[in-house]
Amino acid sequence: MDFFTLFPYIGILILVIINAALVLRRKVTIDESNHTPEH
Amino acid sequence: MTYFSEHYVTILLTILYVGGCLYIGWYFKKKASQGVEGYYVAKREIPGWVISLAFFSTSASTNTYIGQAGKSFQYGLSWAWMGLIWTVFCIISWQLLGPKMRFQTARLKSFTIPDYFHLRYKSELAKSIRVLSAVIILFATLWYMIGIAKGCAHVLTSVLDIPYEYGSFAIIAITCAYTIWGGMYSVLWTDAIQGIIMFGVAILMLAIPFIYVGGPDNLLEAIRTTEHLTKSGVPIKSGLVTFGELVSFLYILGIGLSIGMKQLSEPKNLIRFYSIDNVKSMRFAMIWTPVFLGISLVCVMGLGALVHSMATPDEAAYLIQHTDEVIGFMLAKFDNELVSGICVAGLFAAGMSSLASVIIIIGTAFVKDIWHVIKPMPQHKIVPRTKWFMALYCLLVYVLTLYPMAGIVELTAFAGAVFAASFFPAIFGGLYLKWGTDLGAMTSMIAGMFVNIIWRFAIRFEYDALKDVHEIIPAFIVSMMTYVVVSLWSRKRAPDAAHLALVFGVSKKA
Repeated sequence: MDFFTLFPYIGILILVIINAALVLRRKVTIDESNHTPEH
Repeated sequence: MTYFSEHYVTILLTILYVGGCLYIGWYFKKKASQGVEGYYVAKREIPGWVISLAFFSTSASTNTYIGQAGKSFQYGLSWAWMGLIWTVFCIISWQLLGPKMRFQTARLKSFTIPDYFHLRYKSELAKSIRVLSAVIILFATLWYMIGIAKGCAHVLTSVLDIPYEYGSFAIIAITCAYTIWGGMYSVLWTDAIQGIIMFGVAILMLAIPFIYVGGPDNLLEAIRTTEHLTKSGVPIKSGLVTFGELVSFLYILGIGLSIGMKQLSEPKNLIRFYSIDNVKSMRFAMIWTPVFLGISLVCVMGLGALVHSMATPDEAAYLIQHTDEVIGFMLAKFDNELVSGICVAGLFAAGMSSLASVIIIIGTAFVKDIWHVIKPMPQHKIVPRTKWFMALYCLLVYVLTLYPMAGIVELTAFAGAVFAASFFPAIFGGLYLKWGTDLGAMTSMIAGMFVNIIWRFAIRFEYDALKDVHEIIPAFIVSMMTYVVVSLWSRKRAPDAAHLALVFGVSKKA
């Protein structure tokens, strides 16, 4: 099996590891305030 | 009696699975009916692991587990690149849109994708964008639902000999029932359960060819070189394990982009961001959703190539012309009632999770973003009317499933491309560009739809060199450029500073 055929299987692992590192390093902000729907 | 003794394991597992989904819907019935925010976005109180699995299960459908998996029987292991491309867009979607969308929609008190456009751009024209996007959702979703219901009904027919019309009715009625009862709560929780089943089934299905031929060495030996024929009758030889030999990489890229990009703009995916409960959950989902999706997809996408090891030359000659039947063939050849039962439950899970996600989207789009905008109604009437509309729409889908029009699969893919090209610039601009305007959003939507149609019907198939370039790519580029140019040109139409401060203001950090 050549490298490029095999790549997706290795690539997925590399990708999710890089993604996890990026998520852990970045500041994540969401609005957690309570509110009442008006519209 | 013979029928039950032959199928009792599959029937038992199917009943257990369906019963579980209906129970979840019933369990959340009271909670979901307490108000619009509960019914539409589950009061933004859903844990990260549920959202993560729900995003994964709604992104993959029956078509992924049957159609896409079967394709690698024809195209070889290179087809696994589809899974990689798809996962890249899943990561982009969570990194780029997830936290911002949750932040802004909570601040704006937005409950649907169309009402986000209205509340974010805040003008009379933005109200028209809201109605236009709701109309696009209603149109594009119809074909998608018919395609999914048709696929599930065919699975029931082939595995349990249930007539097509009864099978499609059962699938639509069951999914509609638990969605109507529990609203977004039951959609997300059933999607999460379905996600767990789908993840397990993807790994189980990958194991089948390995077990059948007696281990990895035997399997690799069998597919390394084969005398089975390609669709055009030439021996495949080492094509299954050689990059780009049976299919061009450009083709894989085109289809991969067209499917992957939908995760950036399809309402059934984006609405997941609305319901996440806190920062910790957001981080969890950002990390784990690509893991669930990526691992499942690479298991499934290359599966067809491995099935060559289970097929005789005659069987392979038939399957190469009918790749949709590859997974059914694999299960039949393996001949294990328990494994078949679990895999059938997984295929239902894939179909029903996608179906439930869009049922709630069409209900909310019609009642809140068309009806309520044109003729405002009291708050207490919104949820009951949403339920009635979902039931009526499901009835329409059932009737159309009985008489499916030709080319439904193509129409479904085309409708998905319209979503991606039309919605993404207005969403991305809304989230990131303070100078983005309502006029930019409206023109980019129209440009996206227009280029989709022109490229598909007047350009793509007229020129050989362009046939692998999916319409989503030019439509996406033109739509994005239109948004930027028109927004810059009409900067004065941008909402006032107080509104922008509300939209972009900073809240809690972690």
